[in-house]
Amino acid sequence: TQLAASGDSNSIKVFVRVRPLTQGTGLTTDGDQNLCLTVTSPNTIRLLSKPEPRTFTYDHVADMDTSQDSVFSSVAKNIVESCMNGYNGTIFAYGQTGSGKTFTMLGPSELDNFTDELRGVIPRSFEYLFFLINREVERSPESKSFLCKCSFIEIYNEQIYDLLDTASASLFLRENIKKGVFVEGAVEKFVNSAAEAYQVLSMGWRNRRVASTSMNRESSRSHAVFTMTLESKESINEVVNIRMSQLNLVDLAGSERQKDTHTDGSRLKEASSINRSLMCLGQVIMALVDVSNGKNRHICYRDSKLTFLLRDSLGGNAKTYIIANVHPGSKCFGETLSTLQFAQRAKLIKNKAVINEDTQGNVR
Amino acid sequence: MASLSSDEWRTICDKFTNAQNLTEVESRNDPENDPFRSKYKARELLREIYCSLKSFEAGEGEEDSGGESGDQRPTEQPVDGQREDVFGQGFSGDSPAGLRAAKLGAVEYYLGVNHVDTEELSAGREHLMNCMKQLERCRVSCENVSLFIHVRNQLGILWAGRDETETAQGFLETAESIYQRYMKEDGSPPTDMTEYFTTEENLLTHQERTKRFELAYTHTMYYLAQVYQNLGETERAAIYCHSTLQRQLQLNQFNPMEWALNAATLSQYYITKGRYMEGRHCLSAATVISGLAGEVPSEAAAQESETESERREQLRQKRAEIARCWIKYCLNLLRDAKKLLEDNIGELDTDRQEELKRERRHEEEEEEKGRKSALLFGSEDTFDSIASLEEKVHCLLPLDFTEARAVFLVGQNYVTQAKEYFQMDGYVTDHIEILQDHSSLFRALAFFEEDLERRCKMHKRRVDMLEPICTDLNSQYYLLIHRQLMFELAETYSEMMDLKLTLANRQADTQSLDNHTIKKFNHLCSASAKYFQMFLDSLCSPEGKFPEHLEEEVLRPALVARFRVARLHSRLISSIPSVQLENLNRSLENYKYVVQYCEAHPEAAPAVETELELSKEMAGLLPLKINRLKARMAANNSGMPLLTD
Repeated sequence: TQLAASGDSNSIKVFVRVRPLTQGTGLTTDGDQNLCLTVTSPNTIRLLSKPEPRTFTYDHVADMDTSQDSVFSSVAKNIVESCMNGYNGTIFAYGQTGSGKTFTMLGPSELDNFTDELRGVIPRSFEYLFFLINREVERSPESKSFLCKCSFIEIYNEQIYDLLDTASASLFLRENIKKGVFVEGAVEKFVNSAAEAYQVLSMGWRNRRVASTSMNRESSRSHAVFTMTLESKESINEVVNIRMSQLNLVDLAGSERQKDTHTDGSRLKEASSINRSLMCLGQVIMALVDVSNGKNRHICYRDSKLTFLLRDSLGGNAKTYIIANVHPGSKCFGETLSTLQFAQRAKLIKNKAVINEDTQGNVR
Repeated sequence: MASLSSDEWRTICDKFTNAQNLTEVESRNDPENDPFRSKYKARELLREIYCSLKSFEAGEGEEDSGGESGDQRPTEQPVDGQREDVFGQGFSGDSPAGLRAAKLGAVEYYLGVNHVDTEELSAGREHLMNCMKQLERCRVSCENVSLFIHVRNQLGILWAGRDETETAQGFLETAESIYQRYMKEDGSPPTDMTEYFTTEENLLTHQERTKRFELAYTHTMYYLAQVYQNLGETERAAIYCHSTLQRQLQLNQFNPMEWALNAATLSQYYITKGRYMEGRHCLSAATVISGLAGEVPSEAAAQESETESERREQLRQKRAEIARCWIKYCLNLLRDAKKLLEDNIGELDTDRQEELKRERRHEEEEEEKGRKSALLFGSEDTFDSIASLEEKVHCLLPLDFTEARAVFLVGQNYVTQAKEYFQMDGYVTDHIEILQDHSSLFRALAFFEEDLERRCKMHKRRVDMLEPICTDLNSQYYLLIHRQLMFELAETYSEMMDLKLTLANRQADTQSLDNHTIKKFNHLCSASAKYFQMFLDSLCSPEGKFPEHLEEEVLRPALVARFRVARLHSRLISSIPSVQLENLNRSLENYKYVVQYCEAHPEAAPAVETELELSKEMAGLLPLKINRLKARMAANNSGMPLLTD
């Protein structure tokens, strides 16, 4: 339903996908036939933890034999439709390296054949978007027109790189009162069809691989954000109505790599005696300030680049789906548990539409 | 007697240096598919050192008695429980047996750290506990106190990582008390652990020893801050954050901008607790220390070189962040004062004001005392600058307009500073947040203003700064801020309307209002209603449908907005009956909405208790008024003379 595009969809939806067991993929889990989880219903998953198994509930849980097409239908179809209506949408893929993020988003590793039945969410989204665009234009060729642009960036070590222009230096995030948050100077390619969009994507993806080898960036440690900006123009009785929307497709860094930053709650941040800096004291203080409420305070530490760029998707008025990919092998138990827990926390992110209602006495 | 020859000793020292180098330098270049290569090599060297130490020098008389004294202790020590006895019993640190135990302990320590680094936590723990066992034989002295503290720091980290925060706390608190007692009883620059394996000519200077030792203790403070935070003891955690910062400053081990940002953030903790003296102190220190980072490179210099450009960006941004922390300080100080002074209808309570002014002298004395006992930042060079910055703004709640204005002006000055960096073009969210604070500063100051005309002008300033942005802002990307702005504008116009009416009533002495005033009043009234309505419209679906169920976050604001719209429409002044009727009908419709919504969703009622009660009352009364008006209109149309009431 269209209403879902704005009003009631503030919470983030989570789709969990379990990949099949495979051999020869280079994973440490190869040959391990013991499973650590079972899919118990279309929205629950049971993790065989000890002493008691634990059940997690999500918006959707897809078993090993789920087809790419059905993933697309549950996750992306709706989002693409609401983009046509002028709303922003974001799809994240999250999970351990090797759990099937890229397969879900792109499809089998070779990107040239995008008619393949195994193609992923991204190529299918392109097709569907252009199918909808063409349908609209055919219906009212005089009054409706669309303009579609793509950009593709990578965030590595809190630096932003343009995957469509590898020669450029790192870029900055900026905000504009009319167009929101954007990457200043990022190349935008105009595209007229799904095939063209796909070309842009594959070019960027190749560049990402090149960068990871030649410039020593690990792709499993970087986030890649493919953004499609859709501008629709409608003229009714000489009134021109322009709507803009964005579709963000995000391949997050492997979840196992974030251990060394700050996902573990109780772990102490260590002092690095080499540069004599107690790097994370700020984070500790920040946590203290966050606990106390009611008062108006400022926190000096800025959001990470990724959350800033996608702020609108994480609790704004956009439509957001997180695809949490997990590996069913028992050796992946730890990672799978943390992915499932992350996905559950993500469901709690909501649009905090706090209103300054001073006179009523219960401020912020 | 098996004693080490000087050659053998030199070999051990070389191995140690080599191991240190592998651990700290080479390990950073290890390939990704063999990440611990250098650390494993270092581990082998450490093991060799351990064997050499163990086999040589064994059999000396003191070894045995040392063994016995070790055996007499309980073998299992659940948590670190050595607070006191480590100073009394065991070998003296400079005896051969004491030195030997310390050396063996040190190797165990380095092996422990090595295993932890290579993710073999259990083995790491075992080595660290072995180090503790070696140390049990020794009294704390300047030869081994550093090791006593380091090993506990490491065990603290280890246990915290295993979610056993209390165990970690035990080790770290013991480290803390050992440090304090050592400094009290001895205090001479202690041997650094690396010196156990250094040849005579490479021993450290006293200054370097002190520096390293103090740094280890600073780490203890830093870990304790985190442990207390994890345990939910925020107050204690804040104290330890404060001490960590304090020590960094005293020992000159800090990066100025990083330090300043941390201190500024800590100030925000204090102001949320209403502790303005500490908050001000942190902020003043932050400002002074950030100055140590140097001048902001000019725009021209930034264009010349990339490093200068980056430095310019960094310095400007961080100083603007500190300015924003100051703004919050001023804002909260004013708001807290307002809260303290307002009566039940939100006006200045003059009796209370008098009373508080009488208490002021006492408070000032308290402040003086507080200052003396509080932890203070500052080295000799910076202390005076920090103190003189503190004098520029009060930390006691302002009690009258003059005092409030002084705080306001300081805040406004920081608003200007912060806006210089956070400009609208490029930093929309930050810029608007600063403007919202500016508006709030005006709002709080207006409370203290007795001249209503001037108070109204202050609110007009708020409108002037927020209204153009509210119009321009794209709500697709800034929905939340946009809603906040609409709500604030609605309320500001309402406030201005009330002020105008009070003023008019005062002057006109309840006589009929003149046309100009009515026009002005109606303008403010409709503007307020317009923004409330815009806020409500922002909740609608793409098809323009108002949601049947209000999300929790917008429930109260939405119902309050409906209620306020109802009131505003009933207050509009008009002499034309049909317009009056229209206004009353809209008013009734909105009151009814509040009542009906709460009937359909009983869980909403507690959120808007007062509003709901009034809405019910009005929903009952308004139809009577409407009917009377209708009757009058009918009578009028039928030629009857217009009744005046």
